[in-house]
Amino acid sequence: MRVAFRVNGVPVEADVGGMEPLLEILRDRFGLTGAKLGCGEGRCGACSVIVDGRTIASCLYPIVLADNQAVRTVEGLAAADGPLDPIQDALLEHGAVQCGACIPGVLMTLTALLERVAQPTEEVIRQELTGNICRCTGYHAIVDAVLDLTTTTSE
Amino acid sequence: MTGKIGESVRRADGEDKVRGRAIYGMDHAETNMIHARLLRSPVAAGRIVVLDITRAMSIPGVRAIITAADIPCRAGVIVKDQCLMALEYVRYAGEPIAAVAAGTEAQALAAVAAIDLEIEAWDPVLDPTTALAPNARVVHPDWASYDLGADPPVGTRGGNVAWESRLERGDVSAAFADAHLVVQDEFTVPRQHQSPIEPHCAVASITGGRYVVHTPTQAPFLVRDRIAEFLGLRASQIRVVVPTIGGGFGGKVEATLEPICALLAQRTGRPVRIANSRREELATTAPREGAMVRLRSAVGPDGDLLAQEAECLLDAGAYAGETVVIASVALLYLGATYRIPGVRHVARAVYTNTPPTGGYRGLCGPYCVFAMEQHLDHIARELELDRLELRLRNALRAGERMANGQEIDDDGMVDAIQQVRRLNAWPASGRTPQAPGDRRPMRGTGLAATRCPTHPEPTQATVKLNEDGTVGIISAAVEIGTGAVAMGARQIAAAELGVQPSDVMMLPPDTDAAGYDGGSTGSGTTFALGNAVRDAAEGVREQLFETAAEMLEVAAEDLRLADGHVVVVGSPDSRVALADVATTALWTTGPIASAGRYCPPPIVFDEACVTGTLISTMWAVSSSVHLAEVEVDEGTGKVTITRYVVTQDVGRIINARAIEGQIHGGVLQGIGYALLEELRIDDFGLPLDASLERYRLPTALDAPRIEITVLEHPCPYGPYGAKGVGEPPIVPVAAAIAAAVADAIGQPVRRLPITPFSVLETLRSARPA
Repeated sequence: MRVAFRVNGVPVEADVGGMEPLLEILRDRFGLTGAKLGCGEGRCGACSVIVDGRTIASCLYPIVLADNQAVRTVEGLAAADGPLDPIQDALLEHGAVQCGACIPGVLMTLTALLERVAQPTEEVIRQELTGNICRCTGYHAIVDAVLDLTTTTSE
Repeated sequence: MTGKIGESVRRADGEDKVRGRAIYGMDHAETNMIHARLLRSPVAAGRIVVLDITRAMSIPGVRAIITAADIPCRAGVIVKDQCLMALEYVRYAGEPIAAVAAGTEAQALAAVAAIDLEIEAWDPVLDPTTALAPNARVVHPDWASYDLGADPPVGTRGGNVAWESRLERGDVSAAFADAHLVVQDEFTVPRQHQSPIEPHCAVASITGGRYVVHTPTQAPFLVRDRIAEFLGLRASQIRVVVPTIGGGFGGKVEATLEPICALLAQRTGRPVRIANSRREELATTAPREGAMVRLRSAVGPDGDLLAQEAECLLDAGAYAGETVVIASVALLYLGATYRIPGVRHVARAVYTNTPPTGGYRGLCGPYCVFAMEQHLDHIARELELDRLELRLRNALRAGERMANGQEIDDDGMVDAIQQVRRLNAWPASGRTPQAPGDRRPMRGTGLAATRCPTHPEPTQATVKLNEDGTVGIISAAVEIGTGAVAMGARQIAAAELGVQPSDVMMLPPDTDAAGYDGGSTGSGTTFALGNAVRDAAEGVREQLFETAAEMLEVAAEDLRLADGHVVVVGSPDSRVALADVATTALWTTGPIASAGRYCPPPIVFDEACVTGTLISTMWAVSSSVHLAEVEVDEGTGKVTITRYVVTQDVGRIINARAIEGQIHGGVLQGIGYALLEELRIDDFGLPLDASLERYRLPTALDAPRIEITVLEHPCPYGPYGAKGVGEPPIVPVAAAIAAAVADAIGQPVRRLPITPFSVLETLRSARPA
C-alpha cells in the first residue's frame, strides 16, 4: 500500500506493507537516523517522534497510522543551516547531553510538552520524561534546562 | 568560551547530537551491506548433539553461515577459555552457536530458525556457592589446558574457580584472639546491567585485504587485538574505527560481536552489519557480576579495626572474561579506605552456567563498599558508637598505608567526611537504633565513604598546529559521553597552547591513525589523554618558540603563549599570531606537530602481601562520602530518598559542569542498583529480565536532587592535579542508601536491591511473633 504524509513539513510517499514501524521507514527510507532503535519495545523513548502534536514511540507505531499525518523528528527542530532551536541550545548550555543517544527522543518529548504547556512545573517535566530513559545524565540537567528556558522566556 | 581550566565549556560533539546528526555505531551503514544474526543456545548447559546448517543454507538471501567448526581457537582477557561460538558444549543460555549473514535481517532470522540444532541439556550450575560445592559439575573440565595471559601462582585456579586473588598482611590470627569484639556479616548482590541506549553493534568489511571494523567500542585497540586473537590474524591486519558511541558504562570494552562480524565479512566479501536486539543485550552482554561478600572483623573497644577477613565470590558466568581481573579490584576496594593492620582478604571469580559477567562503572566497588559500610554500621551498633565518628577514627590519613602497603597521598577522606558535618547533614546522634525504631514515618540517615582509583591506560596523542592557528589532536581515546575528549582534552590543549577550546579539533578514534590507547575505562580518559596532550603540547610549544624567536628576534626563553599569539614576556605588543608562526615554520623548520604519550607510573606497594592479583595498586586515588536520608513506608515497603549529599574529591576541576554531570548520572545508576535493578536468572539458567519492562531502569521521577560539594586534593601526576571523576559517583550510593534504610527500619540490609518486598519481609521478620 501507499502512504503519504509530511515529515518535518516535507511531503513524502512510500510503498509499505502497512505494519512496518514508522521508525524503520524514517531511518531506512528517508535517511532520518536521529530517532534511535533503543529497545524496540516502546520503553526507552529514544525513537520518540511527534505525530500530529503527540509524542509517540515510533518503533511500535505502524506506518499505516502515519498516513495523511504530520510527522516531526529531531532533524526538523532547527533548519540544517540555521541556529539551534532554543530547547536544543538549552540542553547544551546546561550540560544535559552526554552520550546523546536518548537526546533526539528527549527533545521531541520536551517540544511536544512546551507546545502544550508554556511553563511546566518541575513535576510535570519529570512526569513527561518518564517515557524517555537517559542512562547518562541522571535527568537533572535536562529538567533544569527546561526550567531555565521557560522561566527566561517569560521574563 | 574561554580556555581556562575549570570552566564549563560546551562539548565539541554537542551540536551534532542535539540536531540528530551524529552518526552512532547503530547508525553506521555501508554500500552493499548485508546483515547478520546469531543462533544462540536455548539452554544453559549441555552438549551439542546435532548442528546442521544444510537446510538453513538454502534459505533465500543467505550468503554465509559460520559455526565454531570454522574457527575453533580459544581467546580471552586473561584466561583463554572462550571460543567465538560454542564448540561441542554450551555453557550459558544465549551463547552464540552459529552466525548467519544474509541480504536482509529478516532473511538472516529465517535462516537462524532453519538451523537444525539438538542439545543434550544438563542441569546448569547457577551460582558460585553451588559451583564451589564438592560435587558440583565443573563448567570447564579442560580448564588446566587453557592458555593464560598472566601467570597465577600454583593452586589459584581449579574446579570452578576461574581465578583466585589474595591479600594477606599483618598478624590476623593474633588480632582475632585478642579482639574486644568480633563482628561477622554476609552480603549478597545481584547482577546489574549497563543498559546503554545503543546496543552492541558492528559493521565489518574487507578493504585492501585488511579488516575494517566500525564499532561503538570504548576500547578500539582491545577490540582490534581480540579480533586478531580469535581469527588468528596479526593485529595490524585490522583497523577499528569508532563512530559516536551511544553509552558504554564499561559494557563496551571487550569485543562481543566484532570478531563474528569480521569473519562473516571475510567469508562473504561484503560489509556485514550485526546488532543485538534489546533482549539479546540484556540476556547476553556482560553485566556487573552478582556476588557474595563475607566480612569478619576484629575490633578494639573504641571501634578500631584490628584485623579483617573477607571472602568475595564473584559470579564470572560461563567464561572468565574481565571478572578475573575484577577479583583483584575487590581486594583494593576493601583495603583502600580504612586502617586495618591485619588483613586476610580473598576474592574468587567462579564459573557458572550463566551469561559471562564483566566490567560496569566502578566494577566491584559498589558492592564491596555496600558490604564494608553495612559491616561498619554493624560494629557501630554493637559498640554504640556514632557511625560518622567510627569512620573518621578508622579512615586512613596521608602517609599511612593501604592494605596492599601503598602509601596514602592526601587527607581527602578526612576532608570529605568532615564536609558532611560542615553541611550539618549528619544527625547529632548518628547511632543506629538497636531495634525497629518507633519513629513514624520511618526515617533514617546513612552515610558511606570510599576511596576510588583512577585507572588510566597507556595512550598516545599527536598535537599539530594548523596553518590557520587552530590546533588538531589525533588520538584513539574514545569520547564515551563523559566529555573527557569532547571537552577535557580540548580544554587542556587550549590552556597549553593559549587558544580557545573551540579552536581545538579532534579526529574520531581510528586505530590506523593514532597510536595505542588502552581504552576509555576506569575514569582514566581525562587523566591519561590529558597527560599525553600536555606532553605533545610541550613539543609543539618548543617548535613554535623556535620559529617565533627568529621572527621576533628574541630568545626562545623570553616567549610565552597567550590569546592565539606568541608573545614576548614583558613587552606584550611584541607578538606574532600562531597562524603566522605556523605558515612561517612550513619553510623554515617544517610543519609544527608533536607526538605525546603517557604511561601511568609504577606505584610502590608491598609485593609480598598479594598472590594472584592482576591489578595490585590504585593510581590517583580520590575520596568520596555520600549521605542519604530516606523515608520508608511501613505499609508498602517503598523507600523514598528525601535528601542526597555527595562530597567528592576530584583532584582538580577541569570542567565543573561535566563533573556535575558525572555525579548526577553516577548517583542515579547507583540508586538503580540500590533500589530497582536486578538482572535475574531463573532456575533453568534462563534470563528473567530480558526486556526494559522487566529490568527497571531509573526514570526522571526516581532521581532525587543532589547536593554536591567538589573537593580538590590535587594528584601530583594528574593533568593540573586532576583525578578520575566518572566512576566514583556510583560507588558509595547503594551503601549510603542501605545505611539510611537500615537506620529507618532498625534492621541491617544484607541484600540488594532494597525492594518494597524485601523491606516488608525484613520488617515482618523483625516483628516479635
